[in-house]
Amino acid sequence: MNKTFKLKLDGIEKAVTAEVVDKKIWFKLYDQVFSCDLIELVDAGFKKAKTISKSPDRILAPMPGKVTKVFVSENQTVQKGDALLVMEAMKMEYTLKADISATVEKIFSKVSDQVTLGFLLVQLKEHK
Amino acid sequence: MKKMKRIAIANRGEVAVRIIRACEELGLETVLLHSDADIHSRAYRLATKTICIGPAATSLSYLNIEANIGAAIAAGADAVHPGFGFLSENADFAEQCEKNGLTFIGPSSDTIRKLGDKVSFKSLAKTAGLPLIPGYEGQDQSLPELLKQVEMIGLPVIVKAAAGGGGRGMKLITELKTAQVQIESAQREALSAFGSSQVFLEKYLERAKHIEFQIFGDSTGHVVHLFDRECSVQRRHQKIIEEATSPSLTVELRRKMGEVACTIATLGKYQSAGTVEFLLQDNEFYLLEVNTRLQVEHPVTEEVLNVDLVKMQLLTAQGNFVFSPQDIRIPKGHSIECRVYAENPYQLGMPSTGKLGLVSWPEGPRRRFEFGFEAGDVITPHYDPMIAKVIVWDENRSRAIEKMIRTLKDSTVFGVHTNIPYLIEILDHQEFRSGKMTTKFIETYFAEGLKPKHADEQIRAWAHAINKAMKSPNDFSQRSDVVSPWTSHWRGV
Repeated sequence: MNKTFKLKLDGIEKAVTAEVVDKKIWFKLYDQVFSCDLIELVDAGFKKAKTISKSPDRILAPMPGKVTKVFVSENQTVQKGDALLVMEAMKMEYTLKADISATVEKIFSKVSDQVTLGFLLVQLKEHK
Repeated sequence: MKKMKRIAIANRGEVAVRIIRACEELGLETVLLHSDADIHSRAYRLATKTICIGPAATSLSYLNIEANIGAAIAAGADAVHPGFGFLSENADFAEQCEKNGLTFIGPSSDTIRKLGDKVSFKSLAKTAGLPLIPGYEGQDQSLPELLKQVEMIGLPVIVKAAAGGGGRGMKLITELKTAQVQIESAQREALSAFGSSQVFLEKYLERAKHIEFQIFGDSTGHVVHLFDRECSVQRRHQKIIEEATSPSLTVELRRKMGEVACTIATLGKYQSAGTVEFLLQDNEFYLLEVNTRLQVEHPVTEEVLNVDLVKMQLLTAQGNFVFSPQDIRIPKGHSIECRVYAENPYQLGMPSTGKLGLVSWPEGPRRRFEFGFEAGDVITPHYDPMIAKVIVWDENRSRAIEKMIRTLKDSTVFGVHTNIPYLIEILDHQEFRSGKMTTKFIETYFAEGLKPKHADEQIRAWAHAINKAMKSPNDFSQRSDVVSPWTSHWRGV
C-alpha cells in the first residue's frame, strides 16, 4: 500500500508519497518520482544497523552516502581524533574520526562505495 | 439500419478501455479479444465478456486474423472494433470480417487497400493532382535529365540509391553548381553498394512539420474533415506529443489542406474515422499517407470540437450517423496530448517493465486520462510501451502547455519508470512553446535523453529516510493528519 506523509528532508518538511513495489521503494518528492532498490538499502546496512550496536571500536556510517576518502590502512595505529575516512552525502562531507587510540583491524569499504546508514566501515582494536 | 447488440474489441490497453466506454454509453455489450498476458488489465475487468485468443506473442494473438474472427463469431458479436495498431489497417482482416457477417468498424477493405497501400495511394493522389513530396523516380538516368529534374524539384534535393537504404548512396544537393558532382558520387556509391547506379531524386524537407487532418465519412458516404492536429514532436517516427489545432496553419493553409484531405478520402470512398497526414514546410504542404483507422491522438480533436469519434464510429457502423449540413463545427481553445511510455528517460528511453504500484492521475477541469492499467497490473515486455495518455484542454495554447506541465507533475506512476520527466522538459522547451518545432525537434535538442537532476546518493539518502519513516508508522501518524482529508478539510464546511 502506498502512504502519504510529511517528512523532514534537507531540513524542510515535505509531503512524500511512497510505496514498496517488488523490492523497490518508489517515492514522489519535488514533483518527481524516484525509485531505489530496497535490497541495496536493507542488505547493505539497514538490517545490520539494527544488529550492530554502537561502540567506540566500530566505525559505522552515520548517514547513507558515498565513501570519498580512506586515510588509513589495516594494521595501522591511530590516535584518538585521527581522521579515518570521509563520507559524502547530499553534497555534504563528513569526516569520521577515531574516538579511541587503537589499531585498524579491518576496513570494510573502499573509495566510491555507496553505503547505507549504520554500515560497518572500519573495525578498530582498542589499545588497552 | 443494423441494430447491433455486441461489439468485439480486437485490441488491448487504453484504447480497448476507450472503446468499451463508448459502447456502454450506447448500450452495447463488449467482448474483449485478449491474449493470455493481458488478464491483469483494466479492459479485461471492464468488458462485458472476455475471450482469450492466444498467448502473449502478438503473431499468435492480436495479429492472428483467424483467432480474432473465430472468437468474435463464437461470442456472438455483431461487429469488430480493431482500435489502432495490430489489425486495424489490415485489409485482409476487414475483408474476413465482412465475409463472416461481422461489421468491421472502420472503412471497407477496398478503402483500406486503396488508401492504406503506399503505391496505390500515391498513384491515386497523383492522378487527382494532389500535392505529393516532389521527386523523380524515372528510368531516364542521364545526367542532363537528372540535372533538369533537380531544378524542377527545387533545392535542396536528396539523391537516393534506388536499390538502397541505410543512408548509403545518399547525397544532399544544396547548390546547383555542385549538383553534377553529387549525382555522380551518388551513382558511384549506389553502383558499388547495391550493384545498380540508378538513383531517385526527392525534395529534402529539413524543417518540416507533421500536420494531419481528421477525416470522417458518415453512413451515407459524405466525408468531412474535423480539422487538424500537429504531431511534430517525434522520436524515431514515433509521436510523443500531439495537439489540436496546429499552431502553424494560417486560415488559408487550413482551408486548402482540409480540401485535399477530403478529396483523397472521398476518392477512397471513406467511411468512419481516418487521418490524412501531411508534411508542411515554408507554407508548402505535401501529402504523406492516410491512416485508415482511429488515431492514437484522436482525443485532442474531440476536445477542441466536443465530439466523440468512437461513438460516431459505432453509430456509423449501425447506419445511423449522418452529418447534417447545418452542423458547422468550429474548433475552440487548444488541446494537447502526451503519451506516457513505460521507459526510463534517464537511460535513453530504455523500456521499463514490472508490476504497477500506485497509479494516480490528478483529476481536474478539462484534464483527461486514458489509461489501460492500474495498481497491481503488470506491464509486460510483449507490447507497446504506451501505458496511458494525458490530454488537457484550455483557452489557448500557452495555458494548455502550463496545464499539461502541472498535470504531469501531479501524476504518479510507481512500479515502472515513465517518460513523464522527459515530457515535462519537452513542453517547457522554448522551441516547443514558440510552436515552431519541426520533426527534427527531438534529435536536435533531446538526442542524449535526460540528465538526472539529483545524484544517486541523494536519492538513496531520501529513500533511506522514507523507508525508515514508512516502517515506523508512529513517527508520522500525527503529522500525516495534515494530508488526511478527514481531520482538516471538513472543518468549517
